[in-house]
Amino acid sequence: VLDAITHSWLWLHMYLIITLALPALIPITLFQVLPLLVLLERRGASFIQDRVGPNRAFIPVPVIGRIRGFGIIYTMTDLVKGLFKENFTPPFAYKSFYWLAPAIPVATAVLTPALVPWFAPIVYQDGSGDHTLAGTLIPSSNGLLVLFAMGALSVYGVVLGSWASNSKYSLLGGMRASAMMISYEVSMGLSVLGMLLIVGSFSLTDIVEWQSRHTWGILVQPVGFFLFMTAMFAETNRNPFDVAEGESEIIAGFHTEFAGVKFMLFMMGEYFHMLIASALMATIYFGGYDVLPFPVPTGLDFQNWARIDTSFIKQHLGGMLCLLLAVKGVAMIGFAGLVNGRRTNYARRNAQDRDLRLKEYAFYIAVFGGGGIACIALGAACALFISTQSTGNIGRDLLYPGWVNALAALVQFGIVLGKTLAFCLLFIWVRWTLPRFRYDQIMAIGWKILLNVALVNLLVTAIVAKAIR
Amino acid sequence: MAKVVPRPQLSFWEKIYFVEIFKGLGITFGHAKASLTDAAHFQTLQYPDEAPNLPRDYRARHRLMKRPDGTPRCVACFMCSTACPARCINIVAEESPDHHIEKRPAKFEIDLLLCVFCGFCVEACPCDAIRMDTRQAVLAADNRRAFVVDKERMMDWDPKDYPLEDTQSQKAPGGALHAQALQEFKSGTYH
Repeated sequence: VLDAITHSWLWLHMYLIITLALPALIPITLFQVLPLLVLLERRGASFIQDRVGPNRAFIPVPVIGRIRGFGIIYTMTDLVKGLFKENFTPPFAYKSFYWLAPAIPVATAVLTPALVPWFAPIVYQDGSGDHTLAGTLIPSSNGLLVLFAMGALSVYGVVLGSWASNSKYSLLGGMRASAMMISYEVSMGLSVLGMLLIVGSFSLTDIVEWQSRHTWGILVQPVGFFLFMTAMFAETNRNPFDVAEGESEIIAGFHTEFAGVKFMLFMMGEYFHMLIASALMATIYFGGYDVLPFPVPTGLDFQNWARIDTSFIKQHLGGMLCLLLAVKGVAMIGFAGLVNGRRTNYARRNAQDRDLRLKEYAFYIAVFGGGGIACIALGAACALFISTQSTGNIGRDLLYPGWVNALAALVQFGIVLGKTLAFCLLFIWVRWTLPRFRYDQIMAIGWKILLNVALVNLLVTAIVAKAIR
Repeated sequence: MAKVVPRPQLSFWEKIYFVEIFKGLGITFGHAKASLTDAAHFQTLQYPDEAPNLPRDYRARHRLMKRPDGTPRCVACFMCSTACPARCINIVAEESPDHHIEKRPAKFEIDLLLCVFCGFCVEACPCDAIRMDTRQAVLAADNRRAFVVDKERMMDWDPKDYPLEDTQSQKAPGGALHAQALQEFKSGTYH
């Protein structure tokens, strides 16, 4: 059977299939994260404010009773509501631009993941010679510039949306938002220049490779990271730079006149932008698909130290998979423990729906606890049974069988996604902690502080880099 | 004389803002952690599923008090409907078969949609026949007629739902003091 698999057409054309499937797989995966982000935002907000949060909507299920899914049903119902709402166009709006504007943030946001390296480039050999499968969908040597260009384009959605609405509330909100976004773009570009200077390349893959050879960007460019992060908060229009929407002051800012699907597109673009900003921060300053910023001992005798880089992952694929699955399993079991806390609490309360809820909680505990145990068992199996052997080399790059490359890419994708989600949590955490800056404060911070600190940071980095070299 | 309110003086660390950001993040993290790990942390009542714990003197839906033999204490004196500012009490009196008591209500209706829950009827009643201590504050129905509660519905309550100190309630059928009260009632010494 193994022989039949390894000689099948699918197996032989694995890289072709992966190359063709990736442009669909990665955006689809990221789109799956969006509802999760909305859920995390709502539940995060409520937990920070000591509230329970959305927990009412449910899907009736025969045996279990009902599934509320920790509030994810609300995201689903929001989607249905947005899709079926009247696609209203105000009579005073400029129709063509009004219809075009919501598409711009989404389109630019969806294009950007193509430039982020989700896994290390895979070097492989087949009948027609040596090839490299890049970790980005578009293997561009100046991917960061294209990314920034895409990010800058999202301002057009704001400006067009506000102007095409032909309403003064929209226009005021749009002007504020666009002024801020353009101001912070300057600081954003300058703050990341320090990192580019050290790495010497605009390619995000090169930046990550540099980090996996040396150390993470946060450790060499801490000031640059904080500047970049601040600018990113402004770019994504999140608190404390929330003037674009400015809930409490300017109605809804630039998307005041938008409803239904068009409003949802704006929201989707916003969340996708946040996701991409998180991925960028993880990639440029937190090592991307690199696991740890320092070398670890490979043996218990502490003689040999090695970085957990791509070749290490491929060499110790079973162990890495085991580690990843174990982390996931422990997280799931921990989550089941939290649900159990809720369950024991609700069992003590005198509520009409107690039995129904206890049954539901028991189901969650079974799913997450069982899933966690299954993950750990699978990880142990991986550690025991997966051993990899390189089949040759091209220059310094070791060759590995296709399944090893694919699994290693999956591990790295998981690492990037994990870091990205961690930054998304930071975005949410900050949003529900800090109040909004006043408009003049935003401008003062952007032009008087961020820009100058970024310039000084760049200068110091240049001098130090020159001195070391 | 105008009071001068001094502007708060920010210290150096507060002015550079960064330290305060991390302090704030620490506070919200504490709240999020408590909410996530400790289910008892929430003050939230799961409202339609969990009944709100109202105090006994909360003015809620009315009930009619009962004598030990189960007849209403009401003597149809119309004091409550006279006191009612919303004019939601509709009483029709009839002759009582008990020769000690002149009248009894043939019909006693309260329109809860008109009622303002002021409690004047309770205060006006000379016989302690009407009370508003049922703690049923949530009134829901799909037609208006259902909000007009009649005598039977107002007398449909269980002494076990009321505290033992509430002797008047406990003397009604099913109550802790009912047996003795019924004896007194039959012998004519009941008050």
